[in-house]
Amino acid sequence: LNAAPGRGPRQRVRFLRAPAPGGGGAVELVAARVPVLADHPLVRGPRFRKLKIGAGHRLDVKASGVFVLGIGHGNKLLTDLYNCHLTKVYTVGGLFGKATDDFSDSGNLVEKTTFDHITREKFERILAVIQGTNQKALLMYSNIDMKTQEAYELAVKGLIRPMGKSPPVITAVRCLQFALPEFQLEIHCLHETQQYLRKMVHEIGLELKSSAVCTQVRRIRDGVFTVDDALPRTQWNLQSIQEAIRNCQLKVETELEKTL
Amino acid sequence: RRGLGVAAGPPSTRQLREAEEAAPVFQYAGKAAKRKDRVFVWGFSYSGALGVPSFVRPDADWKKPRRIQPTPYRLETEDKISSAACGYGFTLLASNTRDITKVWGMGLNKDSQLGFQRSRRDQTKGYEYVLEPSPIPLPLEKPQQTRVLQVSCGRAHSLVLTDNEGVFTMGNNSYGQCGRKVVEDEIYSGSHLIHQLKEFDSRVVQVVCGQDHSLFRTKKGTVYACGWGADGQTGLGHYNITSVPTKLHGDIAGVNIIQVSSYGDCCLAVSDEGDVFGWGNSEYLQLASVTETTQVNIPRHLPFKIGKVKEAACGGTGNVVLTEEGNVFVWGYGILGKGPNLIETAVPEMIPPSLFGWSDFSPDTRVAHVRCGLSQFAALTNKGELFVWGKNLRGCLGTGRKEDQYFPWRVTVPGEVVDVACGVDHMVSMVRSF
Repeated sequence: LNAAPGRGPRQRVRFLRAPAPGGGGAVELVAARVPVLADHPLVRGPRFRKLKIGAGHRLDVKASGVFVLGIGHGNKLLTDLYNCHLTKVYTVGGLFGKATDDFSDSGNLVEKTTFDHITREKFERILAVIQGTNQKALLMYSNIDMKTQEAYELAVKGLIRPMGKSPPVITAVRCLQFALPEFQLEIHCLHETQQYLRKMVHEIGLELKSSAVCTQVRRIRDGVFTVDDALPRTQWNLQSIQEAIRNCQLKVETELEKTL
Repeated sequence: RRGLGVAAGPPSTRQLREAEEAAPVFQYAGKAAKRKDRVFVWGFSYSGALGVPSFVRPDADWKKPRRIQPTPYRLETEDKISSAACGYGFTLLASNTRDITKVWGMGLNKDSQLGFQRSRRDQTKGYEYVLEPSPIPLPLEKPQQTRVLQVSCGRAHSLVLTDNEGVFTMGNNSYGQCGRKVVEDEIYSGSHLIHQLKEFDSRVVQVVCGQDHSLFRTKKGTVYACGWGADGQTGLGHYNITSVPTKLHGDIAGVNIIQVSSYGDCCLAVSDEGDVFGWGNSEYLQLASVTETTQVNIPRHLPFKIGKVKEAACGGTGNVVLTEEGNVFVWGYGILGKGPNLIETAVPEMIPPSLFGWSDFSPDTRVAHVRCGLSQFAALTNKGELFVWGKNLRGCLGTGRKEDQYFPWRVTVPGEVVDVACGVDHMVSMVRSF
């Protein structure tokens, strides 16, 4: 970053002494544009010594996926995006038949159970119940007075969501794959942690009278940022970062305007 | 194998894997695990209509009487309940078993709407309030062969439909709603009389109780009515009492009716072609689309252009219909379900399907049944979810909140809701566990 050509030095109009056209020792003042000495690279030093980088929503060690970072002035946009309370989308992979103490497949084994009685129908029924109870929680924590007409209008469009602090709420769940003993879910949620999602997989297992552990948590969308915008490890260089910032600028601005 | 001088250390991966494979496997549910049928109740409990005696008379010192049960509460029943009905302060549960006891009742019994419940303290008198589901003795000719198909409850009377012994009626008969002649100064409390009705043109397949009248639908598609007629709810062309079930004509003459509904003083019927017919009270614009009169005593066709109607339900002041496409339409007066601004309408208005759980994620969610209480509505979706809206009288909506609900709201029930019966201030639902 420091090697890239920065802004040129500021120019200032100064009156310099110059020999008069007449000759002799007379000196007159001539206006000229001169670079300010304070902007000289040797005086100023490298432009960037520290960079402030802030992180968006947390992603823990065992999970993977989209992780939003803000650089410098972008940190202010991060707080604004947090206040928008946009949903995040995860693909969660699970495995039936085991129960561990930290709900993931690398924990200490607590119990093993049978799972051959589980069918896709029962599974989808449980998912429908989860969605139903979370729908209720969505309306309750959004702090809108249910008796008003505008609450009804928002509920019809499905735009009610908690705009303040709230416990984790799941707005939608869908079963992507189901092949005993493995399954994969797509979960849209708000204010959650990855451990909460793993606990949910465990509770789904309990509800189906068996047990389940979570094998994979991958965030595929965080508000406006999707996997396509995200930079993989091979592209962690200045060029791609700058390009990515430029591409996402417009999206972030429109989203902030729409919500706030 | 560990040497004596070697420290224990954390288990290596191989040891962990071996321990895991050697762990015992527990089985909680077999492959043929059956889903159990359960009954959930909620609402006002002091009348005994919820069937939980500990709400009214606590069985332990530290328990307090529970006047209102705001969320669904499981009612333990020994038999599988196939049909339930809520009246004005009482409930009937019926099972289609071949055992001798087929119908249970609980709640108000001041007019013997639950039959004669012999009091244990005084063998000659009956209970006025029945606090837990008690069997109702029906005078059946073949008690071990006949099955009870359906029950229905009105303000102070009840109807029990059997498969080959006709309809049994009990309770108040001051307006002839039990289908027998009105006896002056008859005392209904502690009465043993259960009347049997068999004279219809074909087998009765549905019985419906309005507030003080009764409707019978036969297999041939005809409708019979008896009871109070001052609002024209008997649909027989006059405003008098009818004490014998009489056939209805008017716009439904010759039409094959597949469903009738009533709970207050207005009645709706649905034909096999998807047309809606109405008669009875129209003070709340229920029939204002065809007539300005507030009492309609002959069935009239309601020309709504909303598509083929599959099911209709009548409440006290509002009506709801379900079309073949799965759309729900409401009209009438009161909290209709489209926000606080819609208080009355004479023409049906659709409730958006997104309020019933339809979304891009579950585009095949549709409403399967609609039911009405006196000022509440209930809708069941094909995914087994129950949505309620309307006036939350003494916690009857089951949402856990005390406020009225102006748009459809989910009721959290631990199971798939198969059917629901709505009353004035309580509701009963039949649920299948997961």
